[in-house]
Amino acid sequence: MLAPAKSKPRIIVGERGAARRLTAVNDAAARLGLEPDMPLADAQAMYPALERAEADPEQDRFLLEKIADWCDRYTPLIGLHPPDGLILDISGCAHLFGGETALCRDLVGRLEGQGFKVRAAIADTVGCAAGVARFSQTGPEADIVSPGATKAALMPLPLAGLRLSGRVVRALAQVGLKRVADIVDQPRAPLAARFGISLVRRLDQALGDEDEPIAPRRPLPPYVVERRFGDPIALEADILGTIEHLAHELARMMERRGEGARLVQLALFRTDGRVHRIAIGTAAPLRDTQRLRRLFADKLATLGDECDPGFGFDVVRLSVGVTQRCDPVQTGLESINLAGDLAHLIDRLSARFGPQRVMRLIPQDTHIPEFAIVALPAQTLLHQTRSHHAGQEPTFACGPLSGQDSLAPVRPIRLFERPEPVEAVAEVPDGPPVRFRWRHVLHEVMTAEGPERIAMEWWRDEAGQVLTRDYFRVESRQGARVWLYREGLYERETIQPRWFLHGLFA
Amino acid sequence: MPIPPHPATLSRLRHMVAKADASGAAFPEDEPLDLGVGAIDAALGGGLARGTLHEVFPAAPIQIGAATGFALALAQQAVTHHGRKQALWIQQDFVATEAGIPHGLGIDLWGFRLERLLVLRVSRSREALWAMEEALKCRALAAVIAELADHNAGFDLTATRRLAHAARRGGGIGLLLRQRPQALPSIAMTRWVVASTPGITDPLGGMGRPTFELSLVRNRRGPCGRWIIEWNRDERLFVPATLPGDLAAAARNGSNRAMFARAG
Repeated sequence: MLAPAKSKPRIIVGERGAARRLTAVNDAAARLGLEPDMPLADAQAMYPALERAEADPEQDRFLLEKIADWCDRYTPLIGLHPPDGLILDISGCAHLFGGETALCRDLVGRLEGQGFKVRAAIADTVGCAAGVARFSQTGPEADIVSPGATKAALMPLPLAGLRLSGRVVRALAQVGLKRVADIVDQPRAPLAARFGISLVRRLDQALGDEDEPIAPRRPLPPYVVERRFGDPIALEADILGTIEHLAHELARMMERRGEGARLVQLALFRTDGRVHRIAIGTAAPLRDTQRLRRLFADKLATLGDECDPGFGFDVVRLSVGVTQRCDPVQTGLESINLAGDLAHLIDRLSARFGPQRVMRLIPQDTHIPEFAIVALPAQTLLHQTRSHHAGQEPTFACGPLSGQDSLAPVRPIRLFERPEPVEAVAEVPDGPPVRFRWRHVLHEVMTAEGPERIAMEWWRDEAGQVLTRDYFRVESRQGARVWLYREGLYERETIQPRWFLHGLFA
Repeated sequence: MPIPPHPATLSRLRHMVAKADASGAAFPEDEPLDLGVGAIDAALGGGLARGTLHEVFPAAPIQIGAATGFALALAQQAVTHHGRKQALWIQQDFVATEAGIPHGLGIDLWGFRLERLLVLRVSRSREALWAMEEALKCRALAAVIAELADHNAGFDLTATRRLAHAARRGGGIGLLLRQRPQALPSIAMTRWVVASTPGITDPLGGMGRPTFELSLVRNRRGPCGRWIIEWNRDERLFVPATLPGDLAAAARNGSNRAMFARAG
């Protein structure tokens, strides 16, 4: 399926066990009698001047994933069947394309248009479809197995069509079992005892006696709406208009169930097969179509060329990945919904700059200054305590200390992520500094408070490498207040302690 | 001969214009933000105007802490005296390495409650300006503090005019916090130069209350001036500093004031 047709014989070579074997051949090479799994030495003995390339399973897998992404236009439920197969669950989707035959023709036609060689089959079970697609000898029109004809369709297939390992197939061949028809009516217990349970399971799965779930590549979203275009659209205004239209449909669906979106995904299917996926998280459950449009407008603006429409998009899909309960809110005539406005601003900033960059500062229970505050995305914090009432402010679980008392150790208002080395002079090796030079400017120390000794917590420093710090709060002659520390205890940890400036006080 | 307008008439007219403005600028609380120090409020014409831009400069690079403290104190006044409770601090990455990041514990100790603060980090000044403009339009924010790298491109009169327009629509105060005492052209309503001065040491010999030497070098609504004030972080208000005589005398002369007054 993945080998594009070329006129020159060409082979792909890869390691299979100890030997180098052909992993794929093109049509021209197949006509010469070459086939996959043949040792490379044999092939070269037959045709020394063969054009060959190294197999790259990772790239093959990557390509398969891309094709699976593209197939998303037909159904959201897609499973991979490496190295070269895809399984699409089209239950309930076929009518959107005018029936199974039309869907199949559309899919094969589009993929062939992109240069792939495709075999597709539709059947009641995954096993049957996979077998028919790979091994059916009849024409393409027979590749749709009508309901109830599963067994009949499986009968003529070789046993390899049941997705069995090569070892099992060879073992079966040794006793003369070559086709599915040879084993389908055999008693199961001896088959399982002799050839392993996988044979029986695969057979049952193909016949539909045993359920075979498809592991979806992405979680199925609870709400999906989409729009297809005969003529692809490329203008941003058109895309945003479509998004707003789809958002209206989503909002109606979500309103009926009393839910709002926390994660909205936009999938733009380009005509040439690429798919752009854009996800937007929200701070509070959202149903407002204008706001949704705004968020995507911001996001598209930042993506810029990354979201190149090429020759246009022919499918636009909007899905809601995560929902949350969202009761209707009575909005007053005069009061402005401040909490809603704030949530929207947080969403917009998060969409534009990334959720990690819109932060709230949360105190932590530690004495180490650089770990004492953690900055968390505001979006994830907001929804937990969102209040619908105008003017009422959200509150957060702000860690152990919120509203520190007057006994709390004094901390600077600005902190350097990397403490800045300074030259400082102290009268005695473990005393406070009398002057320091920061960024080429010498400052005389008028008042110094300290030391406040902060040692690294042992569970953060297993090797015992981090030196103890003595912090001093220092006021210069001009009145500037800074936070200096001396790294290392004199004579116990180091002979020449270094000084750093860690923060600035107001 | 022009007759000086009566303040009450002027304010009544302003209200009428605000009501007539279709953009809904007639926000209920548009009275200025009073700082609580009579002399400063008088110079500002009642207090710091809402819905406008204000610039805060440190007197020297090492005084950026003091400038930050003053800006946060203003934001604190805005969140307490206002229906809205939140403030946003926009910081460009370069500034974070140059002048440090806002430290939550220090901010909390300073009297600003952490759950009222949102922090946004951006990499480019263009992004910072966009974010500030959008944030100023948002009616849920009482104050927006923005720290842009000083050498940034794109920050000019047009940019500040856009910001001022956004602030007028939103009704919050916009604070531009700079790192170096070099004024760039802007149409900010006021421009402050902040330095911390040695305050009175407390009885136990430790450092006293944070004391600012505050220079108002640009004021579109009144005279400029120079004050020494303290920030009381427990009560969350400014008070005139009670300084010993020699310290008050030692307060530096305003040699750099002329430059600030000229620029912009």
